[in-house]
Amino acid sequence: MFKIFSDLNRKALLNASIAMVLVIVLVYVGSRDLQNFDAALIAYLFGTVFAVFGIMYRYSVWVQRPPTRLYWRRTWKFVFSKRFFPYLGFVITQFVKNILFQRFIYPRGKSRWIGHFLLATGCMLAFAVTIPLTFGWIHFTLLPGTTDIYVAHVFGFAVSKFELGGLIAFNAFHILNWCSLFVIIGAILMMRRRLTNGGLIATQSFQDDWMPLVLLLAISVTGLGLTFDYSFMQGKTFEFMSVTHAITVILFLVWIPFGKFFHIFQRPAQLGTNVYRKEGERLGMAVCPHTGEAFATQLHVNDLKKVTRELDFNFDMEGGGSHLDYSPEGKRAALAKAQFAAREKEGSFFG
Amino acid sequence: MAAGPDSNFNPDMEFFVDMQRCIGCRACEAACAECETNGQEPMIHVNYVDRAHSVQTTVQVCMHCEDPACANVCPADAIAKDGNGVVHSANTSRCIGCSNCVLACPFGVPKKMEAAELMMKCNLCYDRTSVGKKPMCATVCPSGALFYGTREEIRKKRPNSDPVNTFKFGAQTVHTKVNIMMPKGSTELRVH
Amino acid sequence: MFDMQAGLRPRLQNPIQNDMAKLPTSVDKIVAQYGPHKAYTPVGGFHGHADPDKLVKTHCCFCGMQCGIQLKVKENTVVGFEPWMDFPFNEGRMCPKGVARYLQNNHPDRLLSPIERVEGEGFRPVDWETAMSRTVSEIKRIQSTYGNNAFGMLSGVSLSNELSYMVGKFARVALKTANLDYNGRLCMVSAGAGNKKAFGLDRISNSWADLKHAKVIMICGSNVSETFPTLIHYIWEARDNGAKIIVVDPRITPVARTADLYLPVRPGTDSALFGAMLQQLVENDWLDHDFIDNYTSDFQETIDAVKDYSLEWAEEVTGIPAESIKKAAELWGKTDTSFLLHARGIEHHSKGVDNVLGCINLVLATGRIGKPYCGYGTITGQGNGQGGREHGHKCDQLPGNRDITNPEHRKYIADVWGIDEKDLPGKGLTAYELVEAIHRGEIKGLISICFNPIVSLPNNNMVREALEKLEFYVAIDFFLNDTARHADIVLAGALHEEEEGTGTTAEGRVVKINAAVTPPGDARTDASILKELAARLGAGDKFAFENSEAIFNELRVASKGGTADYYGITYEKIVNNYGVFWPCPALDHPGTPRLWEDRKFATPDGKAHFNPAPYREPGEPTDKEYPVILTTGRVVSQYLSGTQTRRIGRLIDPYPEPLLEIHPSLAQQFGIKERELVKVVTRRGEATFPAQIVTTIRKDTVFLPYHWAGPISANQLTIGNLDPVSKIPEFKVCACKLIPLGVPAPPSSESKAYQSA
Repeated sequence: MFKIFSDLNRKALLNASIAMVLVIVLVYVGSRDLQNFDAALIAYLFGTVFAVFGIMYRYSVWVQRPPTRLYWRRTWKFVFSKRFFPYLGFVITQFVKNILFQRFIYPRGKSRWIGHFLLATGCMLAFAVTIPLTFGWIHFTLLPGTTDIYVAHVFGFAVSKFELGGLIAFNAFHILNWCSLFVIIGAILMMRRRLTNGGLIATQSFQDDWMPLVLLLAISVTGLGLTFDYSFMQGKTFEFMSVTHAITVILFLVWIPFGKFFHIFQRPAQLGTNVYRKEGERLGMAVCPHTGEAFATQLHVNDLKKVTRELDFNFDMEGGGSHLDYSPEGKRAALAKAQFAAREKEGSFFG
Repeated sequence: MAAGPDSNFNPDMEFFVDMQRCIGCRACEAACAECETNGQEPMIHVNYVDRAHSVQTTVQVCMHCEDPACANVCPADAIAKDGNGVVHSANTSRCIGCSNCVLACPFGVPKKMEAAELMMKCNLCYDRTSVGKKPMCATVCPSGALFYGTREEIRKKRPNSDPVNTFKFGAQTVHTKVNIMMPKGSTELRVH
Repeated sequence: MFDMQAGLRPRLQNPIQNDMAKLPTSVDKIVAQYGPHKAYTPVGGFHGHADPDKLVKTHCCFCGMQCGIQLKVKENTVVGFEPWMDFPFNEGRMCPKGVARYLQNNHPDRLLSPIERVEGEGFRPVDWETAMSRTVSEIKRIQSTYGNNAFGMLSGVSLSNELSYMVGKFARVALKTANLDYNGRLCMVSAGAGNKKAFGLDRISNSWADLKHAKVIMICGSNVSETFPTLIHYIWEARDNGAKIIVVDPRITPVARTADLYLPVRPGTDSALFGAMLQQLVENDWLDHDFIDNYTSDFQETIDAVKDYSLEWAEEVTGIPAESIKKAAELWGKTDTSFLLHARGIEHHSKGVDNVLGCINLVLATGRIGKPYCGYGTITGQGNGQGGREHGHKCDQLPGNRDITNPEHRKYIADVWGIDEKDLPGKGLTAYELVEAIHRGEIKGLISICFNPIVSLPNNNMVREALEKLEFYVAIDFFLNDTARHADIVLAGALHEEEEGTGTTAEGRVVKINAAVTPPGDARTDASILKELAARLGAGDKFAFENSEAIFNELRVASKGGTADYYGITYEKIVNNYGVFWPCPALDHPGTPRLWEDRKFATPDGKAHFNPAPYREPGEPTDKEYPVILTTGRVVSQYLSGTQTRRIGRLIDPYPEPLLEIHPSLAQQFGIKERELVKVVTRRGEATFPAQIVTTIRKDTVFLPYHWAGPISANQLTIGNLDPVSKIPEFKVCACKLIPLGVPAPPSSESKAYQSA
């Protein structure tokens, strides 16, 4: 799992270092020279900074792989072409549909989508709250001279105030609890699948499939535990709850670049592939010499010929053309025809 | 993947395909959908080669390449080969549905499930083979076009054929885990 | 798009169509309520499939192979299947129908209670008391008004041996009618008649295991690859061992594609080919004189009948190159082990029996029977086509393959049944004749079980008219089949997996069918329905069976001493031995996988009989007006009239609608392009199909599969000519003309052909 660090990738190291420094600078600036930084969250900060470094490193390595690099470049080129606005609109709708609502999971199973949506929504909302808090970008103060009016500060600027005990306050202070509930329900749904679905049972592993769920469940349960503790137990278990919560969260953060959670950062590439296909369809389709039917965009076929070459595959045929010019059905037929010819030449199909 | 020591995968059992025996009945296709890993979606391909002139059909399972083109071209690192040499279906959390694998596989195996924006492919009935059973398709195949067993068994049954797992596609040589039966003495199958 | 096709449907122009009004309501309404609907397994499988309560070992219901299969059962529902690796015939191998067959259980179209016809509305559920009392009072009314034989019964051999036996007894003892016949009349009767003439017994001579080392296998008129996929294993295994195979078929089917010798016979000319081959055997003295002299009769007159059948003449008649016929005779003549197989391709003819005899003559002339790896037989088509045709639901037959006109046989069975021989009805009408008698108004009432004649009989516009003339029609079925849409009452019966019994496979192996689940809702087992009807008709004491084993035990006694002797077979023996081959005359008898090893045949003189089989023209030769030969057959994903398989999505989708197979040269002649709609017209009807242009069919022949009903039913076109002996209809050849409509058909995937609306 640490293979990505075994031979250091310079470009990635540079990108990761820049990202890390940038985050530190942003924390410093955003918290007004650490004035608004909550020292109790220092461990979380370290975890986050490490995660940023790791994510950036892995992302950079990933994007350097020939097929990924190609999609990366093509996507930005197409988005920032003269068709910028249509593609921007397309990307935004796709983002809402497939990133925020993960609509593509629905056809794979209804409960699977519900489970994932709850997990994803819980996590994303929680990120949106905790990261600015950890970085000291947001903090709350009591309005001077009052005992029940809170002021929210963003980057040190007061942006809104609300009454303690009001609806806003209740939600603001409990948002992480809602997130926890979402995640707990989602994780249970997903665990149930993993316990009952024969296909998953056959192919799953603890490290890739169970640990992420266990970790999310642990974070959520200990997070709720904190609330439970100060609401009903007068803080008797605060120490324990806060330590275990911190440990699970930091484990989670540190684990992001290595394990399943990295898919959160890979998934937006799906938008790119859709732009790529749209643009490809505009440019023209490839027609299979065997079936006589369009099967992919010509852009895609041409790009794949380049990519496979970079990866040391060479499907060029002797008389010109490439095996990759054939559709999947055409490729299967070519194999069958070749085997038929060999059998026929031998004069016996059996034995 | 789950091919740890707890797996009962039998390394002596191999897949032998001979599409000249195929009668196009599609029992394998119906049975493949029963495989627990594909959710009622058959992964095996049965096609007419050229229906206008012949009733010849092809039957294609994943060949489980030694160096899988599908995994190489995957931009999302979603395709993995395990210790038993089984190339698995796309990791659902990573696959971004780009179809690179669909187009690059020299055997035309991976399928893109359009609505789910997900690639799926044959994983050698991992739910069955990992507990020592035969894959569903090779279990039901009435023609022997799909045979799963030991080299010894196939040699006995078909003494005049040799299993081949080297394929030439133009300049590219591909080695696979799955064998195709060829006339005796053959060492490779040249497609183009 | 789809409306366009509807507009082109011939039903609108068809004069018969105004009779559609004779259904209780519109077809669409009936389809909406009772299907066919496509059933699929839910994504991720049925509840409990990964964790079934039990695996029930039973057999597939979808062809004569009767492959072993295990059904997964959860909470009294079939939720999946698991291969049965131990069953020796198929060792886990299945065809797509076997794999998907579990989807017929738990199906939304399933009849859960009796239903009755309501004019203008369709059907409504009724309770059993209402359904039974109305049925019985109608039977009594019709029989007392018009005579006992005015109430007919049609049955089928997808039923178990127990039910087949029970139906035969029910018709004769409870209904007291002579007019009982079965759908095997459309299937195995030519083979049965031919085998009885030649051998005195109607069964394949060897088990399939003997195919393995046969050096020559000749397959006549059987698309084994699509109709018996699991039998292919044995044929390919023989080829692995060096066998040469000869395939006689007007189409290059998958079994013919790589055959060593393919004989593209013109439909309806098979006996000319077999005659010419026999003549070649004689000319070249490829004969087993010892066998002919000592163990057969009538050789001389048989070869006299074909003495003028030169290769040139045969080429002229059959369209097969003379060289190929010679090659076939040589392969067949010179080998020392061989197997000859045939199926409906040569049997569905007005000379089906002659074709069968032509094959048998080739086998007898070379003496290759009754020895290891030497055999001959028909490949029985229907699920229990073998067992079902032995125990008395043929119009001329009594249990044990006894003859209803033979006084001794009548006496024996009357004694077993405890009735007076004089009360046992005589020979009745065969299936097609029975429907014709309905059409003529001679038969007024009908009870049917396991038969869908509106799809499966030829010239089915006549069948529809006949059904509409019935005063009362009651059907027993688990789905509302296409024929039962015309019924007054439908009694909700049981599926194959809901009733215990036995079946006999195409190789003569008696196997055990186990009930995996009980019938759902108010549906009942077929046996209990027949039992109650019998009781209400006053014959309850003759049907007081406690369970299916009790029926089987009576069958054993009834078959004792007959040619199909089951006396020595018990449920226990079947289970312990993976089936028992009949004849098995005594409890300590091991069964008979290979017949005739002692060279004592079941004919009165103990010899195998040659029978002259001269060539005759088919009933309807082509002419100027109808210049094209139409032949019909099956596709692998469908079974018979489709009552079950047109309800299983996974079996519908690979071949959603019937296609007209046509050679490019014929297509060009008529100006037909790929997937364009073509109207096929015969003297009996017309129907429109998309063209599938292929070089894998003879240039003078078009092919249609027959599994669909309504406006795309191929049997609207086929002819009701019957073989004079077996009374099998001539499904495999008639004359047609083709009218191209010049419009492309909508995509197959949009077709609603399965609904037969």
